Amino acid sequence: MSGRTPIEVVDLALKAATAYDRDDLAVRLAQTRQRLLDPAVRVLVVGEFKQGKSHLVNALVNAPVCPVDDDVATAVPTVVRYAESPNVVLVGETAVRTEVPVEQLADYVSEAGNPGNRRGLRHAEVGIPRSVLAGGLCLVDTPGVGGLGSVHGATTMTALPSADAVLMVSDAAQEYTATELEFLRQAARVCPTVVCVLTKIDLYPDWRRIAERDLAHLAAADLSADLLPVSSVLRLHAVREGDQALNHESGFPLLLNHLRDRIVGRAAELATRSVVHDVRGVALQLTTAMGAELTALRDPDRAEDLLSRLRDAKRRADALRERSARWQQTLNDGVGDLISDVEYDLRDRMRKITRDAEAELDGIDPMLVEEQFVGWVLQRVAAAASANFVWTNQRARWLAGQVGDHFADDGGGVLPDLHAHDPAAPLSQTIPLEFGRPEAFGLGQKLIVGLRGGYGGTLMIGMLSTIGGLALLNPISVAAGVLLGRKVVKDERKRMLERRRSEAKLAVRRFVDDVGFQLGKESRDVLRELQRDLRDHFTGCAAELSRSLSESMKSAQRAVDSDRGERDKRIRDVRAELDRIAHLATAADALVDRVGTTR
Amino acid sequence: MSGRNHLAGEVRSLLRDAIEVYRDDVETAELLRRQLDRMDEPLRVAIAGKVKAGKSTLLNALVGEEIAPTDAGECTRVVIWYRHGHSPRVTLHPRHGSARQLPVNRVDGALRIDLDGIAPDAVERLSVDWPTQGLRDTTLIDTPGIASISGDVSAAATRFLAPEDEPSDADAVIYLMRHLHSADLGLLESFHDRGVARATPVNTIAVLSRADEVGVGRVDSLMSARRIAQRYRSDPRLRKLCQTVVPVAGLIAQTARTLRQDEFAALAALAAAPRDEIEAAMLSVDRFTRAGPDHARLLARFGLFGIRLATVLIRQGFDDPARLAAELVRRSGLDELRETLSVLFAERRDLLKARSALLALDTVLRECRNPEAAALLTAVERVLADAHEFAELRAIGVVRSGTVDMPADAKAEAERLLGGAGSTAWSRLALRPDATREEQHEAVVPVLARWQRWAESPMSSRAFVELARIVVRSCEGVVSRLRD
Repeated sequence: MSGRTPIEVVDLALKAATAYDRDDLAVRLAQTRQRLLDPAVRVLVVGEFKQGKSHLVNALVNAPVCPVDDDVATAVPTVVRYAESPNVVLVGETAVRTEVPVEQLADYVSEAGNPGNRRGLRHAEVGIPRSVLAGGLCLVDTPGVGGLGSVHGATTMTALPSADAVLMVSDAAQEYTATELEFLRQAARVCPTVVCVLTKIDLYPDWRRIAERDLAHLAAADLSADLLPVSSVLRLHAVREGDQALNHESGFPLLLNHLRDRIVGRAAELATRSVVHDVRGVALQLTTAMGAELTALRDPDRAEDLLSRLRDAKRRADALRERSARWQQTLNDGVGDLISDVEYDLRDRMRKITRDAEAELDGIDPMLVEEQFVGWVLQRVAAAASANFVWTNQRARWLAGQVGDHFADDGGGVLPDLHAHDPAAPLSQTIPLEFGRPEAFGLGQKLIVGLRGGYGGTLMIGMLSTIGGLALLNPISVAAGVLLGRKVVKDERKRMLERRRSEAKLAVRRFVDDVGFQLGKESRDVLRELQRDLRDHFTGCAAELSRSLSESMKSAQRAVDSDRGERDKRIRDVRAELDRIAHLATAADALVDRVGTTR
Repeated sequence: MSGRNHLAGEVRSLLRDAIEVYRDDVETAELLRRQLDRMDEPLRVAIAGKVKAGKSTLLNALVGEEIAPTDAGECTRVVIWYRHGHSPRVTLHPRHGSARQLPVNRVDGALRIDLDGIAPDAVERLSVDWPTQGLRDTTLIDTPGIASISGDVSAAATRFLAPEDEPSDADAVIYLMRHLHSADLGLLESFHDRGVARATPVNTIAVLSRADEVGVGRVDSLMSARRIAQRYRSDPRLRKLCQTVVPVAGLIAQTARTLRQDEFAALAALAAAPRDEIEAAMLSVDRFTRAGPDHARLLARFGLFGIRLATVLIRQGFDDPARLAAELVRRSGLDELRETLSVLFAERRDLLKARSALLALDTVLRECRNPEAAALLTAVERVLADAHEFAELRAIGVVRSGTVDMPADAKAEAERLLGGAGSTAWSRLALRPDATREEQHEAVVPVLARWQRWAESPMSSRAFVELARIVVRSCEGVVSRLRD
């Protein structure tokens, strides 16, 4: 086996593309190279609170990075990834990055130092030098779902689609509850890989039975996820003492293998496949011109035929760049439909919340239950926002795939082999679909923090002012009581209650409206961006195709024009060059073979 | 306490009047007669919580016998009543049809419940009569867990604790939670809306159960649990819904109350073995199980934390079974829970009973309209409004909800004076139980004066004035009882 690494193969292809003056192909390869150099594999560690998520992360990297406590500990998502030397960066609400000393991390991410994320952090990033993370693995410790004031759940949900895998953590004290299973179901819908981790097996004698029951629940819910029992305590102890047997008992070797082979490995495999796909594409495009020249050189009589075929193909490639091309239509119509669907869905969800809230308000006195009510509305809104987000994401991915297929179908005649080569890597897999990633914790978190601050404020102030009004009214109502008798006071009270209710309703409506507006704008922007990205990507591909074909035509023309002696020499040269490019394709194929064997 | 007996008498006579009014409606009359009988029965305390919160284990610990079946998996699937009886008896009450006896089947002391082929949702409840001291004053009701994967099991619990349209069968609730989950809060709130607690937190106690697992088995776990319970106790959302939060390590409490000689011997042997060896074995449950033949059974009874704690205690000198058991019970928090139960539930037994009966009567009168019912309804409303005991309960609820603007230190005092920590004069005045009459009198006079001042101050808000008046009346009650 030649044993070239993917990056070397890309460099090779890059050299070839430059040598043949194809700067357009070089740009594409440079992007591929960039992606390969930064192989972040995000693994989200999720679960209800107090299940041992932070402890699991600590045991995985063998360092006390995430604060652990007997009481609820994690308040802010913490991203743990590889770095040469330990460092901590806090990412604020407006994506402002501040570096803080490592030992101060707990002050920012723990419930004790930063209760309810009062500092409004989006997330914290911890870099530590650990070999387990060196492959690009990036562990994200999340605040527990299901606690009090838990809008965390919604935030976690919005982060799911951008994750490569999810570790669902549940302790061996009990089998899955209905809420946990529901969470798993949702996670499985948006994330390609879900792994269930059963923690604290050092503490519960019956963990094997719990594991069995959990597996049964997973099977009954039709979820295909592996269940790995582990003990973080044993792992940390084993590492400290250098005890192999204990390490084995802790279950961590299995978990680490799983992470390495199935998650990081799978991501690497995907990356390699996309490299192979790109390099092959480049090789093919380079060959086209030379192949055409060779054919024309060998058989000048039929050159006219070849030229007309090439002209035809070029016309089709150019047509792909037109706005009227089928993929363009699919894309434009699709995004248009998607925007209106998403907006409708959002409006529908928000309307339902408003309706429910109003019905609820009819039965209560907003002054007495203000806090719970505000909390309830916030939670409902956050949940609706995340459901809408997840759905948008699913639809967008599907659309990207569809556009890719249509592009491939239309362009199929141009370079017939471009996609048939590697059925395992359909075009959509190699599209740099970054949807949601830059915003990772952004969308949900920003909104929710915003809700808490600004909008929650509006709601509260609306209610507070009515309380203020009541206080003012007090002496008056007492006087009125004396003068006009009890009935008036009673009526007055009732009127005040009605007023409080209607003001609260108004506040809710305004608030839900504002959120809907904001969210609608966000998702529209995200989708427009997606549209632009996809359009640029495919237009670029079409331009490459068109250029390859015009080069081919030029070469073929040159071949027809040349005389006999020149022709033989040229045939030899072109053959040699074709060999060189074939070598490039072979190197790329070798990568695939390796991926195939390590599976 | 004459006032309370007076209240009970009044409620009884109201019930009798109502039975007379509905004499033609057999079903309603029967329902009311049951309420009347219930006035004389022991207090009914339901044990509720999410699945696997340790409800059955705590029930066993309270009774001091392993009667409720417990298991690692979800276990209790129907509502089970445990009552005092002269001989063991298990009766199944199906949702439709007549009650039937089930065989009493005990394995290792614990009851094995076999529904005899009847589906759990067809069963309304099981009642277990058991000859034990622990059930003499209280009937304990074990309920299936909420948030169970099988929704119908959860539904059975909710139906029992927060019925849609009928009076609740429980007088008080012990609510168990491992950590406060939003589902816990949801259920507590539903009691509050329509279930047993009906708009006052006065008959609900929350228990932070499985307290030994809080610190993943470390010996100081219970300290951590105490700290967490303290935090929950001051959480305004929870304060509105329950009286207090007590941490209890249910498994240890249950085992300690049923400690056997052979178990003590095994623990003593462990305590005497070399430290390193034991510590290595106790790293994980698997290691411990492998280290000795009877270890699996010990683990099932004590848990890893229990074994750690027990061996430490034996080394500290608790070296006979009785002393060890007593210390384990004390450490488990069970004593504190029992103390709380006795102060908050048992002492208020008549009041809670009267309240349950009145709420039931109220529901009946509103649903089954009858020309004579209107007058009775007014009478019920009058008792609910006038009886100072109920005014106190409501006032405690108001103080806890935090909606009334008042000086911070006045809150705690008001709650105490209203009887929030116990209705005896000394506990209202925060004195020792053995305080003399003179001491009590000396304590109450300045307090009374202060609250009178607040009640009459033009600066106080209206709501605070109302509250202060009730507190003043409670203080006056203390004074008058001191005079008798």
